[in-house]
Amino acid sequence: MTVSSSNSAIEVEHLSKTYGTFTAIRDISFRVNTGEIMGFLGPNGAGKTTSMRILAGFLPASEGTARVAGFDINQDSMAVRQRIGYLPENPPLYTEMTVEGYLHFVAQLKRVSPGDRAAQVDRVIRRCSLEEKRHTLIRKLSKGYKQRVGIAQALVHDPPVIILDEPTVGLDPKQIIEVRNLIKSLAGEHTIILSTHILPEVSMTCDRVVIINRGQVAAVGTPSELTAQFQGEHQARLQIGAPTATAIREVLQGIPQVQLLSLEPKTAADPQRWQLQLSSSRPVDEWIPEVAKALIQSGMALYEIGRSQASLEEIFLQLTTQEGSEVASASENAEEAAA
Amino acid sequence: MNGMIAIFRKELRGYFTSPIAYVVAAVFWGLAGFFFTNILVRVINYSQQVDLFAQFGQDNTFDAATILSQQFLNLLGTIFLFLLPILTMGSYAEERRRGTMELLATSPVTNLAVALGKWLAVWVFFVTLLLPPLVYQLLVLNSSNPAVDYRLTLMGYVGLALMAGSVMALGLFVSSLTDSTLIAAVATFGLVLLLWVVDAAAGQESNWIAATLRHVSLLQQYSNWVQGIVSSSSLILFLSITVLGLFATVQSVESLRWQQS
Repeated sequence: MTVSSSNSAIEVEHLSKTYGTFTAIRDISFRVNTGEIMGFLGPNGAGKTTSMRILAGFLPASEGTARVAGFDINQDSMAVRQRIGYLPENPPLYTEMTVEGYLHFVAQLKRVSPGDRAAQVDRVIRRCSLEEKRHTLIRKLSKGYKQRVGIAQALVHDPPVIILDEPTVGLDPKQIIEVRNLIKSLAGEHTIILSTHILPEVSMTCDRVVIINRGQVAAVGTPSELTAQFQGEHQARLQIGAPTATAIREVLQGIPQVQLLSLEPKTAADPQRWQLQLSSSRPVDEWIPEVAKALIQSGMALYEIGRSQASLEEIFLQLTTQEGSEVASASENAEEAAA
Repeated sequence: MNGMIAIFRKELRGYFTSPIAYVVAAVFWGLAGFFFTNILVRVINYSQQVDLFAQFGQDNTFDAATILSQQFLNLLGTIFLFLLPILTMGSYAEERRRGTMELLATSPVTNLAVALGKWLAVWVFFVTLLLPPLVYQLLVLNSSNPAVDYRLTLMGYVGLALMAGSVMALGLFVSSLTDSTLIAAVATFGLVLLLWVVDAAAGQESNWIAATLRHVSLLQQYSNWVQGIVSSSSLILFLSITVLGLFATVQSVESLRWQQS
């Protein structure tokens, strides 16, 4: 047994998984600090589920290794399994059992000692707000409750590390919020990896993000680090009132180094109100007052003005639609930024 | 060990709460009761005839108790040929279909412990199914005159339990190959039926292949037990089929992890 002394609960090193000629994930490396919620983000088929299954001990890795709570997934699989709570994409539920009976079974399976089982089951039932459904058969529960039972089974042995594969998929908006709050409340005591393809979920729940695309790590960092880093060019959004588009173009031509990215009417009903996007190689603060002044001096109305920040969506799209070499360099940058 | 007990208890509880298991129990008890009465009536009639002939000086010996015991046990064996595949069909196929294999495979429990737990649970359920017929058969034999040696009957039941154990291990294996319970049941039934009557392929030949086929036939081995012939070779055959089935199950479940899904 090798117990590492670092404060990373999960250390993934050069993990690869190939099925015959198909490479599901290639050379993935990242760390998750103790008590952190790590978002695992990527388009469908990017390798999220494969990576999580390897960490949980369901799939063997083709190459590379990972340490979970200090134990190597290849060498100490049983020790890892005991320290991990795993919720697969489809909650693994025995639908003919009651909620309580099922959680008792999982507790025993996860080697919770007989004396602690009842207390642990009570604890997760309270934690996941399942008190009312305690004696209900699982097959009679709604999707949201089933998902909560799924989370409860991942918690019942109080594992240091929890892996949740798309925990909010298929839930209604209210249930999504409940599940997110539940996950957030688990941070600190537990280290959590959470996969999703829903971006707002990441900015709402996660401390850090790994963006994965085509089986490779495309970027790692906190949501704000990523937004800062992928800011790209200096851009601003404006909404102005002007008789024609040509008039606006003429005014803007007078300002050096500022390009018009887009110009379109705000609504069809009001053809005199325009929405435009500007971009420049200079910082926004330097040229935005000039633009505002020029517009107002030419008699146009200024309704709205603001800098446009690259959202996580844009970064995500940028990263996941780029090709080979660009992705690699972006990932290097991201790792430097994260270090 | 802990994991095996957890699986065993879960599976056993599953059998006692599942409608399929109750249907199997009802069908089995119904058929067993019907045939038992049937055989019993025939045997009694026949022994009355034998008694009648004896009065006219014909000396026919007829061991009614043994005939009853053997016919009934052979019949139980045949009924279970059809019912056992239904008891094991869901063991792994259901876990695969529901996605709960992922829970088992990520829990600190070995594949062997899971397989043993499942096997033991279905075996215990099977033994509970056997208890009522055993009890009424013993009650009837108890009233026979002259007294009968129960050991012969008990031997038959032990043979039945051993044979069922090996059939269940094969059933578990087949169930681990698919995620459809229906396919598992039909394939298990086919496999077991083949093993049941494989001696038919031996025909009248007397070479070693025919000898092997005759030996492997479950029906042949089981008949030996029913007749009270307990040989170590038939014991070893049943046990090795059981071990082989469990081993194949563990390998098949392990290989699931390597498949692309």
